[in-house]
Amino acid sequence: MGKKKRGHPDVEEILSRPWCYYCERDFEDLKLLISHQKAKHFKCDRCGKRLNTAGGLSVHMNQVHKESLNSVENALPNRQGLDIEIFGMEGVPEDILQQHHQRIITNYYTAQAERHAATGNPPPGQSGSQGPTKKIKVETAEELKKRLAEHRARLAAQKAALANGTPLPVDGQSPGQVASPFPPPQGGFPYPPPGVPVVPSYSPVQAYPPSYPPGASPPPGAPGAFNLPARPPINAPPASSLPQRPPFFYTGPGATAPGYPASASTVDELVTGAARQGHGDDIDQLIRMAEAGIKPAKTGTPTEETPVDKKSKKEKNMRMVYGDSEVSPEEKLALLPRYRFIEV
Amino acid sequence: MAPATQFEVAQPPNDAISALVFAPDSSHRLLASSWDKNVYLYEVAADGSEEATLIKTYEHRAPVLDVCFGANKDEAFTAGLDHLVKRIDLTTGEQTILSKHNEPVRCVVYSPEHSILISASWDNTLHIHNTAASATPDTAPLTIQLPGKPHALAASPSKVVVAMTARLVHIYDLPTIAAALASSSTSPISPWQQRESSLKFLTRAVSCMPNDAGYATSSIEGRVAVEWFEDTAESQARKYAFKCHRQVAPDEDGGGDIVYPVNALAFHPVFGTFASGGGDGTVALWDAEAKRRMRQYQKFPDSVAALAFSNDGKFLAIGVCPGFETGMEDYTGEGRTKVFIRELSETEAKGKGSK
Repeated sequence: MGKKKRGHPDVEEILSRPWCYYCERDFEDLKLLISHQKAKHFKCDRCGKRLNTAGGLSVHMNQVHKESLNSVENALPNRQGLDIEIFGMEGVPEDILQQHHQRIITNYYTAQAERHAATGNPPPGQSGSQGPTKKIKVETAEELKKRLAEHRARLAAQKAALANGTPLPVDGQSPGQVASPFPPPQGGFPYPPPGVPVVPSYSPVQAYPPSYPPGASPPPGAPGAFNLPARPPINAPPASSLPQRPPFFYTGPGATAPGYPASASTVDELVTGAARQGHGDDIDQLIRMAEAGIKPAKTGTPTEETPVDKKSKKEKNMRMVYGDSEVSPEEKLALLPRYRFIEV
Repeated sequence: MAPATQFEVAQPPNDAISALVFAPDSSHRLLASSWDKNVYLYEVAADGSEEATLIKTYEHRAPVLDVCFGANKDEAFTAGLDHLVKRIDLTTGEQTILSKHNEPVRCVVYSPEHSILISASWDNTLHIHNTAASATPDTAPLTIQLPGKPHALAASPSKVVVAMTARLVHIYDLPTIAAALASSSTSPISPWQQRESSLKFLTRAVSCMPNDAGYATSSIEGRVAVEWFEDTAESQARKYAFKCHRQVAPDEDGGGDIVYPVNALAFHPVFGTFASGGGDGTVALWDAEAKRRMRQYQKFPDSVAALAFSNDGKFLAIGVCPGFETGMEDYTGEGRTKVFIRELSETEAKGKGSK
């Protein structure tokens, strides 16, 4: 439990790899990335000259070959634009960067879950995605409620003890410990963890927390974000603050209604809260379960969302230079006095 | 890699260009028909000196709406606003009237495989002329009645595609037509296939794939469709259309897209890729198989009216003149009509093939 995975790089390692904005491929080091970009995306197909940037290639095409470059070669469909100047990892827009990190994290955890499924070696705290392979100890709703109440009380006490202690919207939910992508030592906890009979209506909130200070109230709009899971906000912290795991919210054992709108919180809170709590709390188990149950839903979201975005952008008004769908321009020209033919 | 070059023809037509066409047996002979009532014969220099010189002009009574070569580089056919379909001996300049429609003749197309000339006129008919040497010269052409005004016409080795108003597309089978001509039967020739255009707006151009597999159409609404002849579910499922020749309007003009007509289409005879020319003054090369744009050339000073690849695919002729736009009261292409010849590098128009 809690041991490093053999042969599988950890998520920090993957996240730190340089990657190509145009094709999303990642590389061992920046040098390789730059030579990839020069060879694949910034190479002149006329003379083979390798330029440093798309802008450079555009100028080259213009001046040397008298041609215009409209799109970057071999790029993903939505990354062909010349408006963004990319060199290595420089110039990658923040939101794209966040999307990329989000995707890596998602893939990482999906792959991890798959490995666990394949090896039949369930990771600590994991049970949701495995289905009925393991017997789940059933707690009654009352027991769970009691445990949650205890936990909340403990948490509230800890919060209050802190100088910046602010009311946390804990109704029907609890933040959990998610500091490391790897399960913490279990402290001899029996496995599997106490399961819950309720429908796990966990929902991913934002992948990255908005950058308001720990302990502050969540933004008013945050609960609404439940309908659009896993879209990284633009103002997310830079990659250096990674790794952070997307916060998952557990709607509490008492809340049996699926889709109960738990209000959002921040990872900061979760992390600090977790640090204060230490390991081995029951909540940890619940959180990890939530995480396991959540993954499939998360994986789908980025792809689902992009086309929607594109669609709405396409709904633009258009103006046709020639709009007569019945009469051709030639027919109109033929009627002009200049061209009209009168048989003599 | 041989560098691609582009040059302008020295003496372009005096008014808007209606069609450009290269000779079937010479990649250096180019014909241009114009609204200035002339057909121009150009010779593209074979020594690589990047020149194209005017050899001869052939005057007509009225604007010439289309031109095509006949069996060889010395024979041409023209479609005139004066309702006439003419044969021109390019060497002597002799003009022979082949037939007379009741309205201006919009297009002519020649099928070298069957020695047939087809003309399409705004009187809603096609005239089929047997141009084989054996045929008696004065026989009246076969007439095919069309359900709409034809606007574009193209022939592949075995098919001829007619695009009409009301989004009608008729495909005729050339062997059937040839047989009907030979038997001189009077029974009307029915289309091999009747289709509705994949494009919602008026068809502007049609071009057939050199491999006889299908064709591309373009419309006034910045769109090109590619479809296949074969009438099977799989083949028909392959057809697609895409937007092109559009520009984003500046925000102060209300934003959105400015949509230009796609005036010209031409398939590359060797690689099967195709070029489209639009009212936005650009020419783009497309890979029909891979569904990708391979290239877009630098903007030309005016709308692209006509395109033609030479028989070996080495040259691309681009006819440029002002485009007719909605709301124009008057029009003239005078002084702004140009013909560009682009010498393509070996791989320039080569597609990557479908993935």
